[in-house]
Amino acid sequence: MARQSHQKCTPDFHDKYGNAVLASGATFCIAVWTSVATQIKIEWNLSPVSRVTPKEWRDQ
Amino acid sequence: MLPRAAWSLVLRKGGRGRRGMHSSEGTTRGGGKMSPYTNCYAQRYYPMPEEPFCTELNAEQQALKEKEKGSWTQLTHAEKVALYRLQFNETFAEMNRRSNEWKTVMGCVFFFIGFAALVIWWQRVYVFPPKPITLTDEWKAQQLQRMLDMKVNPVQGLASRWDYEKKQWKK
Repeated sequence: MARQSHQKCTPDFHDKYGNAVLASGATFCIAVWTSVATQIKIEWNLSPVSRVTPKEWRDQ
Repeated sequence: MLPRAAWSLVLRKGGRGRRGMHSSEGTTRGGGKMSPYTNCYAQRYYPMPEEPFCTELNAEQQALKEKEKGSWTQLTHAEKVALYRLQFNETFAEMNRRSNEWKTVMGCVFFFIGFAALVIWWQRVYVFPPKPITLTDEWKAQQLQRMLDMKVNPVQGLASRWDYEKKQWKK
């Protein structure tokens, strides 16, 4: 008995737009989260090791 | 009525090859349901419903049902498939087919996670208080020097990562 894939005959919403929805959702998510993480001056207070150069404090 | 036309084609052309017929009937069944078809059809967990899928039969279909009461060896292949299609909406292969729904779902998930980032952006602009003086870059640099002078965590921690001879971070 032959088995056919009927999906090809009547593509549903997910067949037509699934790839577009997935790609656009993922790019939107990545873009907005990288800009939130880097561009809007949120203080993440990351470790100073290899990042901060110490400055003399005793002259105050 | 597309299914009726396809039905007549089936009976007239006999065992010519069911692929085309399968497609068109499957297409129609997949679309809007017309009156002779029931609303609850067989599922994987409900494989043998009491009511057949197609309840109102035209003359040809009723003739076929009469023929079904006789010996099944008299039925052609096409007739057997037609009887199956009267009784059931989809084959098991059809009802178990994969779908691309996960793409839509994950796309919407990512969209709403991105929307959460927009909410955080708005909060940064309108809700966050001013940065405390202890978190400014100058204060943090001086605080770091004071911690190195105190040799904070010299075994495995902060001061162990600082090279006191060369006055730089250890590589």
